[in-house]
Amino acid sequence: MKTRRLSRRQRALANCAPVSEERIRDRSMRAAVLRARGSNGFANQQSFDRAVAALVRAIPIPPEAAEWFSRKELIAPSKWTWKKTARNPAVLAIGIALVVIAGVFVFNFVGRLSDFPGSGTARKLLSIAGSTRSVLLDPVAGDAGTLSDLFFLKHGLEHYDVPEEFADFRTIGCRVFDDDEARRVAQIWVIEKQMQFFLFPAERNAKTGAVLQFPGWRYVRQEGWVGAVMERNGVCFMAALRGREKDLAPYISKTKQ
Amino acid sequence: MLGDSGKAQAVFQTTLHEAARRAAHEGLPNERFWLFRDARWRCLEASETDLQAEPLEMEEREITAEAASQIQRLEPIQLAIWISAAPEAQRTALAFFYLDEFDYSEIADLAELKLRELSRLLAVSRRQFQAWLDATFPEGPTV
Repeated sequence: MKTRRLSRRQRALANCAPVSEERIRDRSMRAAVLRARGSNGFANQQSFDRAVAALVRAIPIPPEAAEWFSRKELIAPSKWTWKKTARNPAVLAIGIALVVIAGVFVFNFVGRLSDFPGSGTARKLLSIAGSTRSVLLDPVAGDAGTLSDLFFLKHGLEHYDVPEEFADFRTIGCRVFDDDEARRVAQIWVIEKQMQFFLFPAERNAKTGAVLQFPGWRYVRQEGWVGAVMERNGVCFMAALRGREKDLAPYISKTKQ
Repeated sequence: MLGDSGKAQAVFQTTLHEAARRAAHEGLPNERFWLFRDARWRCLEASETDLQAEPLEMEEREITAEAASQIQRLEPIQLAIWISAAPEAQRTALAFFYLDEFDYSEIADLAELKLRELSRLLAVSRRQFQAWLDATFPEGPTV
């Protein structure tokens, strides 16, 4: 009979192969027995062990002791427990993988919860806000609310209106530039907390061209900057500053939904 | 392990008595094989006072296909005496192994052996027992 070579550990396990196959409870022993099964030596060992075990069962047990062993099995097999299962490396690895997947899923889901039409553009403009220097802007001293006329008359931009919450803020400068995503963007720099305002076209439905509206103010965060965005008449307004939501909240707390 | 049913009976009763006492007073240990561990130590204690076999270099033979039929010709008590005469931990390993109730890791745990030691003891025991069988039935199995 063809025999397969056994490793040292498999040879050690094969020497301990149980008399009854149902006692094989782990994979390494099962593999060792399967591998050793082809050899005459192992076949002799198994028939030897079966004969000895049969003789052991025939050793007379005093009746007083025998009545304690009325059950077929002397030892109940170890019970399946959550604790034991959780310690299995494969189960542990699967568990960790599932937790990571669930974490990524939850992270994306929570991220999506705060998304709104135009949030991608708003984030991009926050990056621009972080890199803009005041010298890039045309110096304009006045109230932010008065710049709507300038944008309309000079650049033909309709409804580029600064909401009343921010209309009274004194400006340092402004500019209008083209962006691949946001198209025509108006940028205003104000004195108050060195805030920057952005006005840009609201996102539209690709098929119908209808403006994708959203109610009230929405927050976006990017690279240490926070922006509060609202949409009105097809134009989005964003007030941006370096800081956190709580720094912007006082300005919009009355109208935020 | 003792080769004497009277002594085995005494160890058995003492072990159960002690287990009942602990269950009533301290509670039973949270360990699956504590009763077998306890019984084993009582067996070792009980056999300490016996006449000890002299350490002997026993002959070993490879297991043959005829071994099973040779074993069938033995009386159970002959096997019990052979096992009980084996040195510790070979005796414990053989007793638990041929009881056919435990897997190898449980036996190694009960006998306080490593897998390689258990494996070596079982392999050596089989060869020694084969040599003893050959000496006991020199003419081979009868048909």
